[in-house]
Amino acid sequence: MSNPVIEAPPTAAAVTWQEGEVLARRASARHKRKRLALLVAGWAAMLGIWQVAAYYLPFGTLPNPLEVGAEMWDIVAGGALVSDLFASIAKTAVGFAVAGAIGAPVGYLMGRYNYWKAFFHDGVTVAGTIPALTYAVLSLIIFGLSDLGPVLAVALVSTPYVALNVAEGIRGVDQSLVKMSQAFGRSPRQIRREVFVPTIVPYVFAAIRMSFAVAWKVEALTEVFGGTNGVGFQIRNEYQLFNITGVIAWMGLFIVFMLLVERLVLRKLEQRVLAWRPDERAVQ
Amino acid sequence: MAVLTVKDLCKTFGAGTARSNRVLDHISFDVRGQTFVSIVGPSGCGKSTLLNIISGVEDHTSGHISVTGDSGSPARLGYVFQDPRLLPWRSVRKNMLYVQDSADEAAGTRVDRYLDMVGLSKHGDFFPGQLSGGMQQRVGIARAFAVEPDLLIMDEPFSHLDAITARGLRAQLQEIWSHSKKTVVFVTHDVVEAVELSDRIIVLQPGGKIFEDIEIDLPRPRRQSDPAVATLQAEVLARLENMKALTPTVASAV
Repeated sequence: MSNPVIEAPPTAAAVTWQEGEVLARRASARHKRKRLALLVAGWAAMLGIWQVAAYYLPFGTLPNPLEVGAEMWDIVAGGALVSDLFASIAKTAVGFAVAGAIGAPVGYLMGRYNYWKAFFHDGVTVAGTIPALTYAVLSLIIFGLSDLGPVLAVALVSTPYVALNVAEGIRGVDQSLVKMSQAFGRSPRQIRREVFVPTIVPYVFAAIRMSFAVAWKVEALTEVFGGTNGVGFQIRNEYQLFNITGVIAWMGLFIVFMLLVERLVLRKLEQRVLAWRPDERAVQ
Repeated sequence: MAVLTVKDLCKTFGAGTARSNRVLDHISFDVRGQTFVSIVGPSGCGKSTLLNIISGVEDHTSGHISVTGDSGSPARLGYVFQDPRLLPWRSVRKNMLYVQDSADEAAGTRVDRYLDMVGLSKHGDFFPGQLSGGMQQRVGIARAFAVEPDLLIMDEPFSHLDAITARGLRAQLQEIWSHSKKTVVFVTHDVVEAVELSDRIIVLQPGGKIFEDIEIDLPRPRRQSDPAVATLQAEVLARLENMKALTPTVASAV
């Protein structure tokens, strides 16, 4: 006598787990191709709208993508890219370093001790809500025409991000791991290195990602007003020469570089450092 | 030689206040080296407090307690917690090395030996997140044994696992213990588990007194299916029912 309830449906039994694995892999490859196609379509649409707008707008107001592309190539070939783009990168990097050197210890104190949290909290929050433009102007007033203006602007914009994220990270530390370490007689230095630092690393990455975009904008903006070199400085030059193609070309190079940093450097670094996290492993 | 000596130990929370609460009441016992001792009792009998005092996390109110290490050096303690407590960002092997003394050159081989004993020699480079709960707890056990402790403290290490996994781990723990003969203080509320694992069971009763101190003299390895083990488990359980009769508040609470 057969019992229909416990009979497995024939299709379910037909797929072994190995076959399931293959199917899953195929599905994920299909998914990848689909995503790539959408990415290409997105870029094509953007360039298409630009092309159409350039065609209909009065002559000289908006150059078409091809003209801008040629100008970008000229800049790269002429060597200006190296001197100016790298000058901007250097200033942003130094600003970031300053933000890290100040923001990380402040965040550590805020996350670790309630007294220090009370001391810093409002100040850091206020500093984080002040518009980036204010920092740019302030830096210019303080340093005038110099490389230090953009550095200070970047530092001022990024420090609150770093501090708040590090504080959040410290508060996320698993106390049971701290107790375990103490039970096994680990020193405070070992506990800092093996428990605290790895806990806050993901938060620091989040801070860098969030403040990176803002920091670049502020850096370029400060250079527009008071730079002696850099991408912002070049944009102002082209503007004064009324060369709109040049302005957009510099902007384009800037965007390309940002995308490269985000996609190739930050994301790869994150995947490597956070390989222990299940969701990061799934990405690899 | 006694590794752990507890003499007239008392612990009162909020001593001298209206809400003073005595959780340990003149407790005395010795634990000889190379024995496996379980501390059993219902919740609220002071098991955790006793454990915290042994490990130095908490102070005691009066009495005396000492843990003796080899050749007069400070005693080395090993811990297995209820949850594995592994660093998720370090591999299994690095987790075990983390609690070793960095100057100890033999640590690496010892870690490998204990990993092998818990059947995880192939998983040394895995991250804890890639292992099942039972495997993680095995790493926790291997980690504690690998520090070669004078006293190994285990705080209900199997209470968070499902029954089948817990049974497998108990068998493995017996085997490792038979090889290493570390002195173990094992806290549990599960009498059946205590009989299977221990040389001796100290039963605490609510109010923090020792209710009974039972020697378990059964050959090893012990299996739950062994009738001798089952008989003794039933006998110990029956004796504990007397305790409930002694303390009607508990009986009515259960």
